[in-house]
Amino acid sequence: MSYPVPTYKKLPENVQPRFLEDEGLYIGARPEVPRACQNIMENRLLTQEPGRKWFGDDGRILALPNPTKGFPSRPPMLTREQDIKAELETLYKKAVKYVHRSQHMIGSGDPPGNFQLDIDISGLIFTHHPCFSREHVLAAKLAQLYDQYLARHQRNKAKFLTDKLQALRNAVQTGLNPAKPHKSLDTTQKAINEYKSEIRQTRKLRDAEQEKDRTLLKTIIKVWKEMKSLREFQRFTNTPLKLVLRKEKVDQKADEEAFEAEIQAEISELLEEHMEEYDQKMEGYRAAYQQWKAWKKAQRAKKKKKKQAVEEHPHGEVEQPCPGEEPVKPVPPEPTDRALVEQQVRERAARSRRRPGEPTLVPELSLAGSISPNEQCPRAEVLRREDVKRRSVYLKVIFNDKEVSRTDSRPLGADFRVHFGQIFNLQIFNWPESLTLQVYETVGHSGTTLLAEVFLPVPETTVVTGRAPIEEVEFSSNQHVTLDHEGVGSGVPFSFEADGSNQLVLMTSGKVSNSVSWAIGENGIPLIPPLSEQNIGFRSALKRADAISSIGTSGLTDLKKLAKWAAESRLDPNDPNNAPLMQLISVATSGESYVPEFFRLEQLQQEFNFVSDEELNRSKRFRLLCLRSQEVPEFRNYKQIPAYDREIMEKVFQDYEKRLRDRNVIETKDHIDTHRAIVAKYLQQVRESVINRFLIAKHHFLLSDLIVEEEVPNISILGLSLFKLAEQKRPLRPRRKGRKKVTAQTLSDGDIKVLVNVIRAYDIPVRKPTASKFQQPARSSRTFSEKRAASPTTRSPTHSADYPLGQVLVRPFVEVSFQRTMCHTTTAEGPNPSWNEELELPFRAPNGDYSTASLQSVKDDVFINIFDEVLYDVLEDDRERGRGIHTRIERHWLGSVKIPFSTIYFQAKIDGTFKIDIPPVLLGYSKERSLILERGFDAARSLSAGSYITLFITIEPQLVPGESVREKFDSQEDEKLLQATEKFQTECALKFPHRQCLTTVTDISGKTVFVTRYLKPLSPPQELLDAHPNDPQATAELVARYVSLIPFLPDTVSFAGICDLWSTSDQFLDLLAGDEEEHAVLLCNYFLSLGKKAWLMMGSAIPEGAWYTERNTRLGSHEAWGPTAYVLTREQSHYLIWNPCTGHFYGQFDTFCPLKSVGCLIGPDNIWFNTQRYDSPLRINFDVTKPKLWKSFFSRSLPYPGLSSVQPEELIYQCTDKAAAAELQDRIEKILKEKIMDWRPRHLTRWNRYCTSALRHFLPVLERSRGEDAEDDHRAELLKQLGDYRFSGFPLHMPYSELKPLTEAVYSTGVHNIDVPNVEFALAVYIHPYPKNVLSVWIYVASLIRNR
Amino acid sequence: MAEVHVIGQIMGATGFSESSLFCKWGIHTGAAWKLLSGVREGQTQVDTPQVGDMAYWSHPIDLHFATKGLQGWPRLHLQVWSQDSFGRCQLAGYGFCHVPSSPGTHQLDCPTWRPLGSWREQLARAFVGGGPQLLHGDAVYSGADRYRLHTAAGGTVHLELGLLLRHFDRYGVEC
Repeated sequence: MSYPVPTYKKLPENVQPRFLEDEGLYIGARPEVPRACQNIMENRLLTQEPGRKWFGDDGRILALPNPTKGFPSRPPMLTREQDIKAELETLYKKAVKYVHRSQHMIGSGDPPGNFQLDIDISGLIFTHHPCFSREHVLAAKLAQLYDQYLARHQRNKAKFLTDKLQALRNAVQTGLNPAKPHKSLDTTQKAINEYKSEIRQTRKLRDAEQEKDRTLLKTIIKVWKEMKSLREFQRFTNTPLKLVLRKEKVDQKADEEAFEAEIQAEISELLEEHMEEYDQKMEGYRAAYQQWKAWKKAQRAKKKKKKQAVEEHPHGEVEQPCPGEEPVKPVPPEPTDRALVEQQVRERAARSRRRPGEPTLVPELSLAGSISPNEQCPRAEVLRREDVKRRSVYLKVIFNDKEVSRTDSRPLGADFRVHFGQIFNLQIFNWPESLTLQVYETVGHSGTTLLAEVFLPVPETTVVTGRAPIEEVEFSSNQHVTLDHEGVGSGVPFSFEADGSNQLVLMTSGKVSNSVSWAIGENGIPLIPPLSEQNIGFRSALKRADAISSIGTSGLTDLKKLAKWAAESRLDPNDPNNAPLMQLISVATSGESYVPEFFRLEQLQQEFNFVSDEELNRSKRFRLLCLRSQEVPEFRNYKQIPAYDREIMEKVFQDYEKRLRDRNVIETKDHIDTHRAIVAKYLQQVRESVINRFLIAKHHFLLSDLIVEEEVPNISILGLSLFKLAEQKRPLRPRRKGRKKVTAQTLSDGDIKVLVNVIRAYDIPVRKPTASKFQQPARSSRTFSEKRAASPTTRSPTHSADYPLGQVLVRPFVEVSFQRTMCHTTTAEGPNPSWNEELELPFRAPNGDYSTASLQSVKDDVFINIFDEVLYDVLEDDRERGRGIHTRIERHWLGSVKIPFSTIYFQAKIDGTFKIDIPPVLLGYSKERSLILERGFDAARSLSAGSYITLFITIEPQLVPGESVREKFDSQEDEKLLQATEKFQTECALKFPHRQCLTTVTDISGKTVFVTRYLKPLSPPQELLDAHPNDPQATAELVARYVSLIPFLPDTVSFAGICDLWSTSDQFLDLLAGDEEEHAVLLCNYFLSLGKKAWLMMGSAIPEGAWYTERNTRLGSHEAWGPTAYVLTREQSHYLIWNPCTGHFYGQFDTFCPLKSVGCLIGPDNIWFNTQRYDSPLRINFDVTKPKLWKSFFSRSLPYPGLSSVQPEELIYQCTDKAAAAELQDRIEKILKEKIMDWRPRHLTRWNRYCTSALRHFLPVLERSRGEDAEDDHRAELLKQLGDYRFSGFPLHMPYSELKPLTEAVYSTGVHNIDVPNVEFALAVYIHPYPKNVLSVWIYVASLIRNR
Repeated sequence: MAEVHVIGQIMGATGFSESSLFCKWGIHTGAAWKLLSGVREGQTQVDTPQVGDMAYWSHPIDLHFATKGLQGWPRLHLQVWSQDSFGRCQLAGYGFCHVPSSPGTHQLDCPTWRPLGSWREQLARAFVGGGPQLLHGDAVYSGADRYRLHTAAGGTVHLELGLLLRHFDRYGVEC
């Protein structure tokens, strides 16, 4: 069966076999099949299926080309050495202990390595400087123009475009006379049209370029001429600049020919263009004309019809044809005139092109000129040169807003160039967010001024050292400088003309030449932080090849970025695929950018989107959800967001949007004076930035935050509990047991209560009998020495005999108010009452958010007010007396204690005796000293000016206070010094764990600063020094008072328990708010300048209400004293302790000194830690020279390195505007009066004008005497004036911060609560201005009831 | 303006040769997706199984997305790490799975792999710990060619995810 089949059998009859291969068609190689097999197959096909469909034209079985490869192959070996794609690169990581990182960023599991950024600052050139002479100005201009010229010349765009034009014209020529006729006419026509439009565009571009070149050349020459004339005029030369114009001869004839040819070509093109336009217009005209004709016809027909209609209905309404609808008869377009076109072209050519035959001018700028020596110059010029010599410049390098290094200070050269040539290697951890150079200028030895900031771009990851080009970055400053010599100054108008016309204002500006690049490591790897740390999401190296993802969507409109990308990814400029892109880039980056009208990214995405972006952003529900999850204050813990947009009110966002809008608007409504409004705004910003900085750190959890673990009982605990069995059941002095702490998450409204246990009070003022009306008490004044030494009082009990026997002296009760809830105790009797009552006040967190952060920022205060309950007999009729009792209860405010909730929260409990804040004058009451003296009880106590109350305050259940953030801050201190501080602190903590030791603090920009840098003599306002020129003690007291008048603002409240920031004294005075450290630093600095020996004393003191801010959990468990800062001064033989926040001072042995323990003393050049056995100021020796008692930080082994101070050179005080203060005073008075009327909605409020004016006169007296010793005089005077009134009232005194504390204070006194029908009120405000806008506010509120 | 809730937990992992395991996870979405609330990434505790092979984390995932398109459907990428007796951590596996697209609860098993490295690195890994890691972690879920990477299989991470879809039918996506 294997014999071959004849061909005729396989083909249809009478068909010759046809071999396609011979006809020139391609046929693949057939698979090789043995001949025998073929034969068998063919035979079989013929017999089984007689049809011939299996056979081809050539009589062989149909077959596909051979699909097999002719040679064996296998995939190449994968060796690791081969270039593995960047994105699949792996890196061997050692097993490391888990380092806690702020974010667990997936994908960047690698710890931050050592990355290095090299900043090469080679030099600086001023393009304008105040010391520029007029010639310099021109020279700078010339140099700039010349640079521009060179740049243009190098690029030579005009030439490029001309060539291109030529090429395009050639292409059109060949297109019109095609060599190959078979191409379809249509496509050529299309191509030609395209070419033509391109020619048009290119021509336009070229013309523009040429014109620019020419004007530039003209300007250069003009400036040079001006400069020459100036040199002649002033008869000396300042700059070595010299411009030489080189003429290059051209072949006149050839040039003319080329010019003419060019013009002819242009004319013909233009004509063609015009013709096209004309044709188009003609077309349009014809169409319009047809239309018009048709309309005309219709009109005519209509008219005819109408005529008939009018005839038919002579009285019918005649339709008026609307005149507006009538089309205008079209005008045929004008054909273009060749002569006109030619004229235009020639004009343009003359303007923008070199005339034929004119030599080419090549300007060359050289520095070959000579400068006139000083002797030949006038005096003003010599002065200018000297001034230039005195100036020097240096640069600071700021990385991520931190100064990292600075260049040497280099003198300014006569040519206003500064050469630095310094390279800074920045070892960095974070991805650089900003890189800034600050240009500083020093004049002589006086001051340094910041000229300008230069922002450097962060280099791309491909820019590494060695490959980075030197770039010039321009800067300019807006400073105004006027100089008294030849220098033209900066920001000041000057003129080149003699008559002063044509004025010019130039600002200091210049260029810094620098290069920024990534360093290369030892093994050639660039030290670049991994891209995943760049906070740009998931962009990485593998996307570098993709233009869109590597530039980002916004980059697409920015052609510069596109160009940059093209340069980086090394696009092949010759690749035809890239041609349009390259051309676009080359045109765009040359200056005149041509922004495409649109660019669509990810068309598919757009196609498949459900909704547009705007619609998504418009959704209120989504917005609300996002804002809530971002914890925006307005929406934090917002509950029940509706499921549908339509259910969300628009007004939900109003507050938030308003806040965003107002962020930069200074609101003066809440703050009466603008300075404070600005300060409040600034504080708000500082707060926000600090909070942002710590936000991440706050999400750190300790093990104990998450896990409550009961301790496994060990043997000692077991033993103790066994011991407890034998303990008596009700001990005489029971101890408080520790309570279990509750984490904040599980709480809800109503779970937390504030417990206030009011135990007892001492020395409450007692009522004075009204009989003392005519008694003139002896004026008693306490002297300074009396205060200091604990000598027994010399004051005699003058009026103790006045009390009728058995009458109650005072009936005090305590009212506690917190978050508008009030509770009060029962009424006790006597000046030393004992209540022993527990009051329970509910606590509500803002927005129901019981997280630690939210609790820390609760700003509410617990007010503890002490009132005297007075019973008045109101029986009108004496006959009734036997049958009924009609009394009215009045409450008289005696004093208050204010404790911020944050204090309770951080301290967990507050247990102690507090000084009651009693107004300096309490009419109708007096301190009852005599009785105590007689009883001989606690003689020392009687001396104390104040009254005291013993309280125990806690929160139920006990909350876990937020731990303060122990973040390591950046510092500019010497590393050695920092190590020493750490060592010092650990040593101290080891010995005396409870004593406060402070060596470094955080300044307002978040850097760690050594604390002694804050102390430096600073002089107080001159006004205070002049007040008591001969009495240093009085001056010191006045200064202390001045400091205490600066409002107190605890950091814990403002910075939400994050950290304690120290501001310098000038910042403090600018902010007009600070906590006790700032007060203490300022006071200490003042004392130092007064020539006293003064130290900052860190210790702990009884919290005086708000004077109690910092927390220290170690101390908290120990005693209820809070760490604080006081000032210690040394007088001739003794020490004085000053409380900076109240301005009071105490002797060392004063038992009433609130300072209870001393941790360390800080002087301007050293720190001493208290290593004595006791820490109470009563029992320690303040002689810091004794090394056994005080451990000093700087000693012989570590000498004081001479740290410069962070404080300013001197404080500048502006006098406060008296008129503004008076106006403020009036406004406050008015507002307070309105408030009081508001608080009494149901009663008529009458104002006693007579009394008000009396009070107003009295307040300045109080200010002068600082609220002391004026009481008796005042009382006598008041009684004289208002004899028949029952008067109760008191002056309140406080530093002015804003209005709210004032109204709160007035409200808390409860004066307005009197509802006796014939009551009258009096209110007077006095503001005493101190320098630097420090205001002392006195408010006198009183109620008067006419005696019957 | 369709919304997707992804609620569920990372149950745990089986089949790892190391014992003390923890897991870093993250969810990656396309540009059309917007996270309304919840955290995109996290890390579980270290679990040392006492009985059996499975390390249980029961780490909650609760995310709420809004989307304007189906492109870039959320995908979950995981890194399983192990902690040795010295408290040192090393990579035990990378894993990746798409968040399911139908509503309801889903039990997912996500197999993991880790780069093998050169023989030297393998040797070092066996004796002193550590191991090769991807320099660019996004290769785990991006569709790059990985044919040059040599990997070893790790264990499996078990997930339980509940999906709630809203308003997809409004845009012609039926589910």
